Amino acid sequence: MTDKDYNDCVDNFADGVYRFIVKNIRHTEDAQDIVQSAFEKLWVSREQVLPEKAKSYLFTVAYHQMIDHIRKTNKMPLTEDTYIPHQQITQQDAELKQVLMRAVNELNPIQKSLVLLKDYEGYNYQEIGEIMHLSESQVKVYLHRARLILKTKLSAYAPIASKCN
Amino acid sequence: MQLNESTYETIFLLYIDKELSPKESLEVEAFIADNPSYALEMEALQATLLSSDKIQYPFKENLKHQDWNATYSTIIKEDLQAIPGLSTSFKNALKKEAAKEGIIVKPLGFSQQKFTYAAIAACLMVFLGYQQLTKTPVSDSIEANTKTETRPSAASPLVENEISNISQKAFAKNNEQITETKQIVLTEQQAITKLQASNSSKTQRTNLLQQEAISMAEPAFNNIDINQTVITKLPSNYNNPITINAIPLPISSANIDAEPTDVEKVLTSYEIIDTEDPDRTIFIANFEIDGNKLRGLKRKVTSLLLFKNIKTDKNK
Repeated sequence: MTDKDYNDCVDNFADGVYRFIVKNIRHTEDAQDIVQSAFEKLWVSREQVLPEKAKSYLFTVAYHQMIDHIRKTNKMPLTEDTYIPHQQITQQDAELKQVLMRAVNELNPIQKSLVLLKDYEGYNYQEIGEIMHLSESQVKVYLHRARLILKTKLSAYAPIASKCN
Repeated sequence: MQLNESTYETIFLLYIDKELSPKESLEVEAFIADNPSYALEMEALQATLLSSDKIQYPFKENLKHQDWNATYSTIIKEDLQAIPGLSTSFKNALKKEAAKEGIIVKPLGFSQQKFTYAAIAACLMVFLGYQQLTKTPVSDSIEANTKTETRPSAASPLVENEISNISQKAFAKNNEQITETKQIVLTEQQAITKLQASNSSKTQRTNLLQQEAISMAEPAFNNIDINQTVITKLPSNYNNPITINAIPLPISSANIDAEPTDVEKVLTSYEIIDTEDPDRTIFIANFEIDGNKLRGLKRKVTSLLLFKNIKTDKNK
C-alpha cells in the first residue's frame, strides 16, 4: 500500500469505522481514539496490507480495539444523553430510528456489531466472520436471532412502525 | 430453495440481508406476490434494517499522511530568502538539502572530519598542559627562594632597621643552632664510618641502620628557623640526602673529637647480628627463642613424623 492508498483509505473508510465504533460504544471521544489507533496500525503495517483488504483490516482492528476498550473500561451502553451522533435526522423517520436504535442498543455486543456491520457497511456473512473472528454459520445464526429480537421489540411499537412505514 | 411455512423466515432473513442469489431473490418476490399474507412478515423484518447514518469522523485530515517534502520544502525556501547575509551558493545548497530531506537537520558548516581534528587538538592540549603542570624541578624552586630573598623591599627605613635588628638576632641564634646541627651531622658521619668498618659485607643491614640513623637525626632539625634554610650534604652512602632549601655550609673539624651526644649513643647501641652464627637467638614477634633449642625441637618433630611413616609401612 502506498502513501496515496493510505490517504484514500482515510477518505473512504474513516467515517464508516467511526460510525461503527460510535454506534457500538456510544462515546465520541473514545470512538475517535479507537479510529485513530486503527489507522495508526494500518500505517505501521501498510507494507503488508493490500489496498483492497484495507477496509476489512481497519474494521477488524477497530472492532478488536473496541472489545478491548469495553473490557478495560467496563462501560458498555451508556445513556442516550452521552451519545451525540453527527447526523441529520429528518422529522419523518426520527421516531422509528429512535425506537430501532433503542432496540439495537439492547442487543448483546456481538449481535449489535453484526447488525451494524451488516446494515451500515453492507458486509456479507463471510466478511463479517473474518472481522469478528466468527464462522459464517455463526454469523448467520447470530444475525438472524438479532433480527428476530429487533422485530419482536419493534412490534411493541407497532403504531410508530406503521406510521413510519 | 423450498419456500414454505417452516422455511420462509430464514429465507426472508437471507433476502433482507442480500445473501440470496438474484434468482433466489426473484423466487422470494414471486412467493410474496402469490402469498400476500407473508408480505407483512417481510415488512416487519425489513423494518429491523438500519438506515444509513451520515456520521463523519471530525479529524480526518489529521489521520492523513503529510507529504513533508511538498509542505515544508517551500516554507524553508521562503525562510531562507528572508535570512540576510547568506551567500547565494549556500542558500542553493540548503535548498537542495531541503528538497531532498524535507527538513534541514545537519548543523551548519561543522562536519565530522572537523570535529575529529578538534577532538585530537583538544586531547593534545590537555596532555601538554598536564605535563607542564606536573613539571616542578628542584633547581627552579631554589631559584625562586633566592629570588624572594633578594627582592628589594618597598618598606620605610624605620621598618627596614627593625627588620635588620630582628634578622641579626635571628642570625646569631641560628648560628648556635647551626653549630648544633653540624655536631649532629658529624656524629652521623662517625656512626656511619663505624658501621661501615664493623661489617662491610652486610651492606643491606648497614643501609637499614643508616636510614634509621637519619630518621633519628631528623627531629634535631626542627629547631631550625623556617626562614633560615640549610642544606646539609650527606655522604653518598645515604642515597637520600636531606635538602631543606639551603646554602651549603663548611663543616669545622673542631667538633669532631667532642663527647658523644645522645643521638650517637642511640646509634652506637645497635649491634650487628650475624645470621650465620649458630648460637644466636631467634626472635619471633616479641619472643626470644634459643636457636639450638629450636633446632632440637625441629629434629624431634621430624623424627616423630618419620617414625610414624615407618610404622605405617611396616603395618602394610
